[in-house]
Amino acid sequence: MKTTTFLLAISLSLISCDRLLVFEPGEVILAEDAISTSDDLQRLLISTYDVLGNLYDGRVQIVNELRGDNLAEPDNNNDYKSVYNRETTFFTGINGGIYTDFYYAIYRSNVVLGSFDLVEDITPVDRTRITAEARFVRAVCHLGAVKMFAQPFGYTSDNSHLGIPLRLEASQNPLPRASVGEVYTAIIEDFTYAAEHLPSSNGAYATSDAANGYLAHMHFLMQDWMKTVSYCDAIISSGHYSLDTDLNRFESGITNVETIFGIQSFMDSDLLEDATFVDFRCESLRDNYRSDNNPTPQLTFSIDFINWWNGLGEGSGDARAEWFTSGERNFCNRFNGLDVFNVPLIHLSGIMLIRAEALSELNENLSSAITDINSIRSRANASLLSESSDATLIRNAARIDYRKETLCEGTWVDQLQRRGTMGEDITIRGGSWDCPGMALQFSNTENTVSGFVLNPEGGCL
Amino acid sequence: MQFKHLPFHFNYSKTMKNILAVFASVFLLSMTAQTQTLSGFVYDINGTPLPSSTVIVDGSSGVFCDYNGHYEISALSLGKHSIEFSFIGYLKKTFEIEITKGENNLNARLKEDAVMINDVVVVGYGVQRRKEVTGSIAKIDAKKITAVQTPSFEAALQGQAAGVQVSQSSGAAGAGSLIRIRGVASISGSGDPLVVVDGIPITQEYFLNRRAGYGGGFNNNPLASINPNDIESIEILKDAAATGIYGSRGANGVILITTKRGTSKTSFEYSSRIGFSKVASRPNMMNTEEYLTIRQEAWENDGGTGYVWLPHMSSSTDSPESRRAAYLRAVETNTDWVDETVGTGMKNAHSFAARTGGDKWSMYSGFAYDDNESYMLGNSYTRISGRINLDVDLAPWAKLLFSGSMSQGRNQRVSMAWSGGLGRAMSQALPYMPVRYENDTLVNGVSYESGDFYQWNTNWNMVAEREMKKWRSTENRTFTNAQLILTPLQDLHVKFTGGFDRMLVEEDMWEPEAFNNYLDQGNLYSNTILNWNVGVTADYQHEIDDTQALTLLVGSEYQRADNFSWDYYFPNSPSPVYSSDSLQSLLDTADRRINLPTQHSFLSYFSRINYSLEDRYFFQATMRVDGSSRFGRNSRYGFFPAVSAGWVISDENWFNAENISFLKVRSSVGKTGAANIPDYARFGTYSPTNNGITYAGDSILYPIQPANPDLKWESTRTIDGSVEIGLLQDRLVLEVGAYHKWSTDVLMNVSVPASTGFTNYWDNVGTVMNRGVELSIKSYNTTGRLGWVTELNVSKNYNELIDIGEYTPDAISGGSNDSRVIVGRPIGSFFLVEHSHVDAETGLPVYIDLEGNETFEYSNDIRKYVGDGLPDFIGGMTNSLTYGNWDLTALVSFSVGAKIFDSSAKRQLGVVSDWNMRTELFDRWQQPGDESTYPRLTLDETTYSLPSGFPWWNTSLFIYDASYLRLRNLTLGYNVPGKNEIRLAVNATNVFTITNFPGLDPEVVRDFENAQDRNMSANVTYLTPPQERAFTFSITANF
Repeated sequence: MKTTTFLLAISLSLISCDRLLVFEPGEVILAEDAISTSDDLQRLLISTYDVLGNLYDGRVQIVNELRGDNLAEPDNNNDYKSVYNRETTFFTGINGGIYTDFYYAIYRSNVVLGSFDLVEDITPVDRTRITAEARFVRAVCHLGAVKMFAQPFGYTSDNSHLGIPLRLEASQNPLPRASVGEVYTAIIEDFTYAAEHLPSSNGAYATSDAANGYLAHMHFLMQDWMKTVSYCDAIISSGHYSLDTDLNRFESGITNVETIFGIQSFMDSDLLEDATFVDFRCESLRDNYRSDNNPTPQLTFSIDFINWWNGLGEGSGDARAEWFTSGERNFCNRFNGLDVFNVPLIHLSGIMLIRAEALSELNENLSSAITDINSIRSRANASLLSESSDATLIRNAARIDYRKETLCEGTWVDQLQRRGTMGEDITIRGGSWDCPGMALQFSNTENTVSGFVLNPEGGCL
Repeated sequence: MQFKHLPFHFNYSKTMKNILAVFASVFLLSMTAQTQTLSGFVYDINGTPLPSSTVIVDGSSGVFCDYNGHYEISALSLGKHSIEFSFIGYLKKTFEIEITKGENNLNARLKEDAVMINDVVVVGYGVQRRKEVTGSIAKIDAKKITAVQTPSFEAALQGQAAGVQVSQSSGAAGAGSLIRIRGVASISGSGDPLVVVDGIPITQEYFLNRRAGYGGGFNNNPLASINPNDIESIEILKDAAATGIYGSRGANGVILITTKRGTSKTSFEYSSRIGFSKVASRPNMMNTEEYLTIRQEAWENDGGTGYVWLPHMSSSTDSPESRRAAYLRAVETNTDWVDETVGTGMKNAHSFAARTGGDKWSMYSGFAYDDNESYMLGNSYTRISGRINLDVDLAPWAKLLFSGSMSQGRNQRVSMAWSGGLGRAMSQALPYMPVRYENDTLVNGVSYESGDFYQWNTNWNMVAEREMKKWRSTENRTFTNAQLILTPLQDLHVKFTGGFDRMLVEEDMWEPEAFNNYLDQGNLYSNTILNWNVGVTADYQHEIDDTQALTLLVGSEYQRADNFSWDYYFPNSPSPVYSSDSLQSLLDTADRRINLPTQHSFLSYFSRINYSLEDRYFFQATMRVDGSSRFGRNSRYGFFPAVSAGWVISDENWFNAENISFLKVRSSVGKTGAANIPDYARFGTYSPTNNGITYAGDSILYPIQPANPDLKWESTRTIDGSVEIGLLQDRLVLEVGAYHKWSTDVLMNVSVPASTGFTNYWDNVGTVMNRGVELSIKSYNTTGRLGWVTELNVSKNYNELIDIGEYTPDAISGGSNDSRVIVGRPIGSFFLVEHSHVDAETGLPVYIDLEGNETFEYSNDIRKYVGDGLPDFIGGMTNSLTYGNWDLTALVSFSVGAKIFDSSAKRQLGVVSDWNMRTELFDRWQQPGDESTYPRLTLDETTYSLPSGFPWWNTSLFIYDASYLRLRNLTLGYNVPGKNEIRLAVNATNVFTITNFPGLDPEVVRDFENAQDRNMSANVTYLTPPQERAFTFSITANF
């Protein structure tokens, strides 16, 4: 009995020590404790812009530019080469990274939208604004992803072709790809809400004009000319923006007068004792295009692009010709001399040009379209469009100037694909505008659950 | 009559026969009235006390020795007596002694019984006679560990035990081994066996080299700091009955290391080993002429004219004249980069140990110095270690055992594998590139003088890196443990244990401004892991009657580990931190980043019951409840039971097989677990409040990982059985075993759809099966002056992934190694496009699609299982010959049926790129009708239908048979006659290898990214350094 008692005492000696098994990660915040104030929610919201900043520091723009016909084959970057040759696979890093980042921002936006019940100190005004901003970022990312990872709107008549997973709430459940039509509908709902509820001024962040700008671009791609014009009118008539007097929209320290929405690099000389703190959000553009500090930049313009430019007959009279130097390799100069700069995504020049093209499609208010085009051309000392130009001439001029103005901005390919859906004979570097490889392959992690449908690969060469 | 010492039991240390004798002595001796006493000690041949050994007087009465091996018998009659000393696992010894009046003294030294069946084996929390063992345990003598020159002691386990696969990783100094016991059941959690030193589970962290790109192609080895000369024995626990007492920690097996302890007699051990090593196999890279020929041919195949452009010298857009000029410059240089990175490594090791003691104490102290250079120039591992094991009798009922060791392992590092060094000599270092510029040269606006190191793509070449960069890792390791053993009641022993394992690893790297084109920079990456262990056990042995014995063990244990790390940055530092006192004094104030500490703990309660009947029926039940901080409240505790039984048939009265001296069957069934996952995997976390990240000047908050509050124990159910047979008076001993392991809720860090907002998620997903058979044979072929002993072990393990839920093979991958999880196949199967042949007409590669049809189209959609790295059979055979004072030992290890994926071959033998190529590529297609191994040469990956921008020709062409037979160890020894035991020996390792593998080494363990990669990517090589061939001379002396 004595022995038994002793054994029991020993064996029970450490019982009731469950607290010895409780360790929580230090410094990081447990998810259940992360959001309890409006400030938490605001900072989580800012993190979605942070992701946008990582996406649109040039990564997305470069990939989209590589899908188009402005650039030559990249120097030696295998990922860029895969995109350029429209042969991305789920092993290709850059498309996987971009896709993942889009959904980082979408997830965070959805967490923001689902967390208001956790926050007691939020004002109705802030709640509305934060909701609108979260939906804005979610829409930007869904739009960015669907344009890159699916065939364009209009590829099928009812847009029932496969789009991307549509994530409208935070969830760990795998989702199949929604149709492009469903994705566009959801995006428009988000942007519309944002346009109606965002303030007109919001610092570095989204405004109602920004939402309208995206809506304008979306409807332009959807060939809804009336709505395109309507959204463009709202922005242009707001008086908030004006054409810059010079050609540089990639400025530092200030928000360019044309910029409706963009990515901000940040500098603060007070943060560091002996240096200026710089938050670069332009590195991909800078490091892959700049030719003044690198004899072998990764990205240069294609000979076809140079031939196209030269074929316009503008010669060096168009100041925008300074954005490149033709030769054995056609270097890009647009970012030369720039170390840190903001990156506009929606800007007045673009809005004016798509409105001009939309008006030409409507064959309405052509004088306004001509004025818009000429104001942009005159800034570049380029030949002006005749005041008597007809709709076709206006449309062609708008397209030419859109291609010029958005050089390196990664949106030209959207226009090529739109025109393809309109029935035009669009060939991009020998491949059809809708060849399978034009849609980037999904991230390798998206394929980890059975049933997800990947894009067909290649088929463009 | 009275005993001065109580009969003492330490677990299963007495036989029924001896018990009867002791009790008889109580009766018989009490009948006498004389005063003569007999006392003394019982030792083994090394002077180690044998507690509980039996002393029998005149075959009828006796006593047990105490914990120090001391005995005393009083009231003996005058005159001659026969005194018999015995101890389990040792040969009996009988003395005739004349007892005189007063005190008489007689000491005995017992020799080990060479026959395995009578061994004593260490089991979890105790020892057992092998006869009584009901689990599967392999015991490895320390001499087999120290007899072989290896980068780290665990490599010497190769080929020593059935079911234990030991793969030496590489020839790098201090490199570890991959040990798998009866296959691997874990996928994302560590699949390494638990290592326990003197009862304390030690820290086993293989991924502390955090900088220079996952450690410069080299994983640290937490076992390298252990001095093999301190090891007394190693036991490997394999089945649930053996590992069940370790419960949640035992699913992948347990390795018990017991260190040497002191003796009452003073003795010394000295050993010294000197030698050298060379690379065991040399890569066959092309020279300049060969490479240019191949490249030119590829260029012309692609339609190029004139001279081919050359990486780092010209480009495809250069004019023909420029390309020609570059080509002609290239032919002037022929650098053998392999020669520039490998050489001869010197070995120099010394070890000294002393054992001493008195009536109440004993001590073992050992000191060792081991300077081990690898064949890679600039690479060495130097270990200095010291150990003190002290045993003190505090009282007849209390004993204190203390073990303390300190060691420092200093690894002089060089880049290797994909990171540089020899790896770069096998890849990006082209033979036409010089080590140094011969003339003043201007490159991209930077001028280099004659004699400056050559660099390409702003990277210095390997010689420059080796000479300019100062890089070393230092591991300071302390093992300390103390045990207080109390005997409050007869046959009850209570043991309080406390252990502390401190592991400090510092990676110290300095680069001069000339190297990094920035500034002199000294960085120090520091990791400290503190591992505490406290526990208490009580064991009680109860003799129910003459035929039945019951032993009960209960205990509880708590283990906690804290992992801290810091990164220090010293810009403008003129020297490495380690050589600068001023920098070291700044460590507290330097610019540093403190990484988040991680902590985990285990709280365990366990019990073991052993019941023996008639000394031939043995039963055991173990139960363990483990709690882990890694799991949430709902699944924090796991219950891990096991039952087993053994039957010594040869002890049955009816057993009458003349040639069978021993026959035993045993079987077990049980459940074990695993929880080797990151400490905080279950938590959903967000960034710290002050994370330093802003956007537009505003601070942000962001999620880091998703929560899984339901994460729980991975568990393995094992059924095991074996038969042990001793034939011809145990001259031939065989053991045949089989097992079936079924692992469920396997912890997986699955890749989840990125659209969820995360890319990885820890979950209990998988089901894995391992089953296999094992055979061990030990044969005393000849005895006498010429002795010949053969030991053979062969094992087969079949591993199959049964289920991974809704996930696809790509949900789990082994780093970048194309190893995946495929249901119905082994863990870490190779998932590649199947290569068929080279089309004789076009010279293009032909692939096999999923329907089995031949196709020229390469696509990731037609990837499939094309093999795996798990062998069908592994084993080892040791032949030991002794003749007089000479002995010759040869260990042959072998592996049959495994595949190896030569991942670097996809560049070395694929698309001609900026990598140097291997000479096997000469067997390429050149014209229609050619039958060749390799297709037409090309610089354009799309020629092989690879996606543009994807020059890695990932096909089954580079899956090879990795079967091999290797003369792992050959030792010739001479034991110098005389009182002192002096031994001279010469030893050669990796003498030769018979294999069809065309690459460097069929036994390979590459550097891994994490535990999952380590589980998944066995037998993948990617520029991995081959093993060394070492020759050493050693002298050992015991005096």
